[in-house]
Amino acid sequence: MLRASLKTHPEPNTSDAPATIVAEATPSGHAGISVVRLSGASARPIAQSIVGPISTPRQAYFRSFKTSGDAVFDQGVVLYFQAPNSFTGEDVVEFQGHGGPIVVSTLIQTCVEMGARMARPGEFSERAFLNDKMDLVQLEGVADLIASASEQAAKSALGSLTGIFSKAVKALVTSVIELRIYIEASIDFPEEEIDFLAEPFVLERTTMIDAELRQILKQAEQGRRLQAGFSIALVGSPNAGKSSVLNRFSGQDSAIVTAIPGTTRDVIREQLLLDGYPIQIADTAGIREAADAIEQEGIARSRQTALMADLCLWIIDVTALDLTLPNLSRSVLEQNLDAARAGLFEDDTVSKRLVVLNKMDLLPDLMQRDLSELLAGDPHIFMVSAKTGLGWDHLVLGIKRMVGVGDDSESLFSARTRHIVALTEAAQYLAQAKKSLLAGLPGELVAEDLKQVQVALGEITGQVTSDDLLGKIFSSFCIGK
Amino acid sequence: MQETFDVIVVGGGHAGSEAALAAARMGAETLLVTQNIETLGQMSCNPAIGGIGKSHLVREIDALGGVMAEAADAAGIHFRVLNARKGPAVRATRAQTDRQLYKQFIRARLENQPKLRIFQQSVDDLIVEGDRVVGVVTQMQQRFMARSVILTVGTFLGGIIHVGLNQQSGGRAGDSASNRLADRLRELPFSVGRLKTGTPPRVDARSVDFTTLTPQPGDQPTPKMSFWSADGCHPDQVPCYITHTTEKTHDIIRAGLDRSPLYSGVIDGIGPRYCPSIEDKIVRFSDKTSHQIFIEPEGLSTHELYPNGISTSLPYDVQVDLLRSIPGFESAHITRPGYAIEYDYFEPKELKSSLETKHLNGLFFAGQINGTTGYEEAGAQGILAGINAVLQARGDPAWSPARSEAYIGVLVDDLITLGTLEPYRMFTSRAEYRLILRQDNADQRLCATARTFGLLTDEQFQAFEIKQEAIESLKGEVKSALVFAGNAAVDAVLSEPMHKEYRLSELIKRPEVNLPDLLVAAGRPLPDLDVIEQVEIEFKYQGYIDRQTQEISRLKAQQGLAIPLDLDYSSISGLSNEVRQKLAQVKPENIGQAGRISGVTPAAVSLLLVHLKRKGGPAKRVATI
Repeated sequence: MLRASLKTHPEPNTSDAPATIVAEATPSGHAGISVVRLSGASARPIAQSIVGPISTPRQAYFRSFKTSGDAVFDQGVVLYFQAPNSFTGEDVVEFQGHGGPIVVSTLIQTCVEMGARMARPGEFSERAFLNDKMDLVQLEGVADLIASASEQAAKSALGSLTGIFSKAVKALVTSVIELRIYIEASIDFPEEEIDFLAEPFVLERTTMIDAELRQILKQAEQGRRLQAGFSIALVGSPNAGKSSVLNRFSGQDSAIVTAIPGTTRDVIREQLLLDGYPIQIADTAGIREAADAIEQEGIARSRQTALMADLCLWIIDVTALDLTLPNLSRSVLEQNLDAARAGLFEDDTVSKRLVVLNKMDLLPDLMQRDLSELLAGDPHIFMVSAKTGLGWDHLVLGIKRMVGVGDDSESLFSARTRHIVALTEAAQYLAQAKKSLLAGLPGELVAEDLKQVQVALGEITGQVTSDDLLGKIFSSFCIGK
Repeated sequence: MQETFDVIVVGGGHAGSEAALAAARMGAETLLVTQNIETLGQMSCNPAIGGIGKSHLVREIDALGGVMAEAADAAGIHFRVLNARKGPAVRATRAQTDRQLYKQFIRARLENQPKLRIFQQSVDDLIVEGDRVVGVVTQMQQRFMARSVILTVGTFLGGIIHVGLNQQSGGRAGDSASNRLADRLRELPFSVGRLKTGTPPRVDARSVDFTTLTPQPGDQPTPKMSFWSADGCHPDQVPCYITHTTEKTHDIIRAGLDRSPLYSGVIDGIGPRYCPSIEDKIVRFSDKTSHQIFIEPEGLSTHELYPNGISTSLPYDVQVDLLRSIPGFESAHITRPGYAIEYDYFEPKELKSSLETKHLNGLFFAGQINGTTGYEEAGAQGILAGINAVLQARGDPAWSPARSEAYIGVLVDDLITLGTLEPYRMFTSRAEYRLILRQDNADQRLCATARTFGLLTDEQFQAFEIKQEAIESLKGEVKSALVFAGNAAVDAVLSEPMHKEYRLSELIKRPEVNLPDLLVAAGRPLPDLDVIEQVEIEFKYQGYIDRQTQEISRLKAQQGLAIPLDLDYSSISGLSNEVRQKLAQVKPENIGQAGRISGVTPAAVSLLLVHLKRKGGPAKRVATI
């Protein structure tokens, strides 16, 4: 059967309206609730295919969110705003789901599968502005927002496109271009003795690219889940309370916490959400001069983990410091820290580091107050008690500031979602191309499918114009009468 | 004495003929000024019309009431359908034509066109008043006034012909260049560039041994190029032939390269990559030991042959040697040497989509002057310029088809948005809506518009309407007609038995089923084949076509916002300097075009939108994208 409807576009057909766009409206990684906004003429039908019927504007519906495969992935509140009474002046649906990038990204991807496209940075504001939803005072801001948000998005996209993933995608794009060169040359130069469309290698290559693409997509999905957040390493002397800190983060007893030094002999990793933002925390073996061979190995791994992490939390047992009153001063504290660090790690080997003075609850009340005064406003030293939760919120804020979570611009994470959306779309068109080839459909349809693959991948690596392609054809084949 | 016209067309080639005819058909008082009436409709290069991407343009010209397709039918002596199995959208028709018959047909059409007058004289100057062109001055200082002027001067501006290291001024072998006009235009604020193109030597068929060549017969039944040509419109059909260059040919060429104007640095103009000279092919693809040559007859009443594939500017003695190293051509006699020609062209980014120049109102450029190559590309621009020259003379808004409506739209948009550094030729891969822009549906895409401009005769439009009705009626039938299980004839077409009833529209979507067979098997009457073809494509390609149609309407709504020509791009905050410069150079007419300029990002387009909105409230939406 000859069908190109790769996406199930829900009715009604709103073809002459601008595309329906979707994006997270709350800054990435905020706790509790995150809002995903869908705007455009198809907003309601798309939303209904995810959460079921929503008829009354401005009424809160509590619903399950389902993927296109009918799997429930979240529950939350859905609000429908009818045009023109909405933020953008178009039909808008807001999903208020549970925070957390995986949920948000699943929701966005489902909307895209149903016919929406991911909004460009600043696009909601742009539409609001173009639909007279913003007053004169806000005008200047819109231009600035678009300019700065796109710049940030470009940076994030670059950040997301590193390493093996980038290499694999680029290799894939090269393969697609090569295949298209053959196919388009066969079409535009049928008399040049280069009728590749008829050759078996077209199907072979399509199959090969299809397999590659699926592999990359799988990796990208896994990568997104594993590396969605940032990594934190907990380092410190034995029994400084690293495991308690980990447990405070994860809210469950994942490491054995005892009063015997050296309990944690290996690196324990914990995957968890910090204010809705995924982080990976590694609890390292307490670093000290160990005689035990097993423990030595553990310590070596600890050092390695500390080096690799996005952020190191240096946990110090505050009761072990010599902070005798009334001589407590900044320099006394620094001396203490230097002494405590000796043998632990070299200060310049760790790029981002926060000092966590743990077990504050064990200090006399007066000393707590004096320390607080001394360290007020210091962004790098925190006083906490992992056991009681004292000072915990403050530490979490400090961590988020260090890793740059929580600003309004497009995050690394949504850049990755963008890439996965593009790869998924490319995979759909590629499957269609393969099907067309196998069914022996006319070459122009295979060519069209492959062009769409290229366009989808172009969202990641930049578009290839028809003139670029012709140029490659002319340099690959001797063409022309 | 000073006469005034609505439209003056300078040049009587493929662009000029279409421009003059279109203007006159629309009822404008039109003057065609040509250097030489004998060369009206002359095919300067190979004697063929159509081909991939090109026959698409020809059919569009035809749907707009132009002459090219009918002339090709009347002069075609060998027709082939290319890409027959690759699908209807990339399917193309090519006609080898008799040069004399072609020229005669064009000249007769021009001479018999009401409201059109022809005058033989070189044009030396334009009459400019303020920022407006109001007429032309001929060689003998005769002044003709007009509301709009179309320049279709081909390769004649500053033309230099190269054969080996010899060079001489000329617009085409045997015709003089328009140097005075070229000098005058260079004084005006247009950006001028140089391009190059070439032709092969022509050969006397009596000196060729055809027994060693591979004949290539034309297709049977002979296809027609025009929607309007009657059956039996073609003259006698003759075969073409194929031969190949040999290693010896390549050695001869390599030995002659030191006297090649291309490889000794005499030619600066840039040649087309897809139509390289034989010396280019041998230098650039040195590992290829043989190249195909198509031997095309020049006509029924001449012995001259056009060996397509060995365009060259090597010296005459090298041309003789290389030709005689080719099988079948051992004792070939050259009737006209091959040559390269360099000529002026004007930066097409300085044109509006109507092909009017941005610098001078009322002045239109069409054809090779805009950096294109090919009769079809020239004719397409000619008809568009002719239409817009009249619209402007009348004070009506300009018209240009969108990229999604016609290859003419792709051609013009590419030229004015991206410019060109080499002679621009149409390819189907340039059209992003290729599946919709087919040669078989050019009438559906353009006839209604053509009718509103007065470009079609009553008979033509009636024929179009009858065909449309037949298509609609068959579509309805295919959608509603049921076939029941147990119909042996239908089972045979499907190659499997049906177990329940189906609509024809469901069955036709199977790749192996074709509509004529299905209609016959289902006991339905068979309408015209071109009617069946439309319906078949529509059902078989439905998914693809629906997707493209949706994308198009979305783009139209989004990108149709008009941008004033005098917009000050330096006043837009947030744009990078690079983007500002690019926008200022092209001065896009609408948001869609702005987004297609290379290097203009979606964010830049957003900033532009925001700026336009701030400047003028809701900007007006225009129909084209």
